[in-house]
Amino acid sequence: MVISLSGDARQLKIGIVCPYGWDVPGGVQVHVKELAEHFIAAGHQVSVIAPVSDESAALEPWLVSAGRPVSIPFNGSVARVLFGPIAASRVRQWIAAGDFDVLHLHEPGIPSLSLLACWSAEGPMVGTFHASTPRMRAIAAAGGLIEPMIEKLGARIAVSEMAHETMTSLYGTSAVIIPNGIDYAHYASGRADIEQRLSSTLKIGFLGRFEEERKGLPLLLKSLPAIIKRNPSVELLVAGPGDSSKISAALDPLIRKHVKFLGRLSHQGKAEFLQSLHLYVAPNTGGESFGIIIAEAMAAGAAVVASDIPAFRALLADGANGSLFANEDPISLADAINFLSSNHDALARLSRAGIEAALQYDWSAVASRILSVYESAMAGHGKVGIGSESASWKRGR
Amino acid sequence: MYILLTVLIVVLFAWYLSFSASRLDRLHHRVETSWEHLDALLQRRAALALEISHLCELDPATEFLLTESAYVSREDSISERSDAERSLSESMNFLKSAATNGEINVPLPLLEELTSLTEKITFAILIHLEAVTSVEKMRARFIYKFFRLAGRAKLPIRYSFEEDVIK
Repeated sequence: MVISLSGDARQLKIGIVCPYGWDVPGGVQVHVKELAEHFIAAGHQVSVIAPVSDESAALEPWLVSAGRPVSIPFNGSVARVLFGPIAASRVRQWIAAGDFDVLHLHEPGIPSLSLLACWSAEGPMVGTFHASTPRMRAIAAAGGLIEPMIEKLGARIAVSEMAHETMTSLYGTSAVIIPNGIDYAHYASGRADIEQRLSSTLKIGFLGRFEEERKGLPLLLKSLPAIIKRNPSVELLVAGPGDSSKISAALDPLIRKHVKFLGRLSHQGKAEFLQSLHLYVAPNTGGESFGIIIAEAMAAGAAVVASDIPAFRALLADGANGSLFANEDPISLADAINFLSSNHDALARLSRAGIEAALQYDWSAVASRILSVYESAMAGHGKVGIGSESASWKRGR
Repeated sequence: MYILLTVLIVVLFAWYLSFSASRLDRLHHRVETSWEHLDALLQRRAALALEISHLCELDPATEFLLTESAYVSREDSISERSDAERSLSESMNFLKSAATNGEINVPLPLLEELTSLTEKITFAILIHLEAVTSVEKMRARFIYKFFRLAGRAKLPIRYSFEEDVIK
């Protein structure tokens, strides 16, 4: 048995499976993309397989398409996932050809590509569990059915305390908690001091799929009149993919002139957007596991105002790194924003605390922890290969 | 017709038993490999402890605690070893905080290795205990007991030093 003592120095061939459609922005996709890029920069070989809607578009050189995803409603949004015999055979081919040292499956608990990969492969496998919602129960009332399939995972990672709880209640197993990562330098470089930003009129930002109720834009719009009353020149900037015309048309014209829809932002545009804000607002009403955008906003130096759902409460250290308001309460949200807009000292303090706190989520820290988990999963195993559940006696050790 | 049905049921049941046994087998394997990995990390920690105690000027009490527990950790007798790992965890934690506060002078590379090793050990323990828990749960189920699907494999053992770390 070979146990690598040098550990970190070894270069690995890593296969990562992303269950959700690659072309639609989402927390898991961004996580996978940035993790892959970080590992490649560190000298590892990485291949990612994911569903892709538009295969003719230019894809990253390390990305393999498993086919077009189908849309199913899941966890209050629409998930674009992929399964079926063709996807299964593509995954098997990818695993067989990849000669991977370790396979990293994201969200292996839902019926999709990751589960297919887990079913097909034998060897060192690590699973990362992102979702945290009681509604997971509905889709995985089959927890007992799924567990034998994901039992092959040599190690499990949960991205937050909440994701861990969801996982424990579904499958009865525990995991290592490693938070999502952010590219700290990307959001921090070139940011102006909060004092400098405070010299202009109040700018509030929101980023996300704003058409989805649970992302909380309706709540923020409801609290806007009370905010405008105290800050007559306030600007609300809404970024993210979606059709804004309907939402905009439904607004009172007096309020509409304070709201600006920016559409979907580029990578660079997102950093500049966050750096321009005084306050970043996360009014999400639930179903969030981590809140990566909050960590990014903190790195960019915006003070954060967020609903007091468990994920955000944990991320903002119970209010030390950002202001929390009562979930689904527009009055409480308006109060929190109005307090900060008239207390610049408090706002600047939150901005500085956020910058400090965001550092721990930088990829350099997060990826090395993930590598430690890979090492654990690889110990005593060979490479990843194709296994066959129905012929377990053929399984090599 | 009935014979056919009976044969079908027997075949399905036999397949289910074999499937269940191979599940348990895989979990046993995971307990072994995760323990081996943890064991290797603990050995690395003991070696690091000795290196630190040789290189750094420690007070006699700390040095004794460190070297004593490090030597015992490298012995095989597992009952003594768990206590030794425990006291090694404690003295390493003490060392780490004293070094970060500047009370003891530990060379930076050694301190960095100590920090990363401590984290790796924590992860390895969590991963190992997850496998142990899965085996325990599975072997408690009726079908595994009644058909003795575990064979002669011993039940995995939990050590007190492991629980210490994840608290």
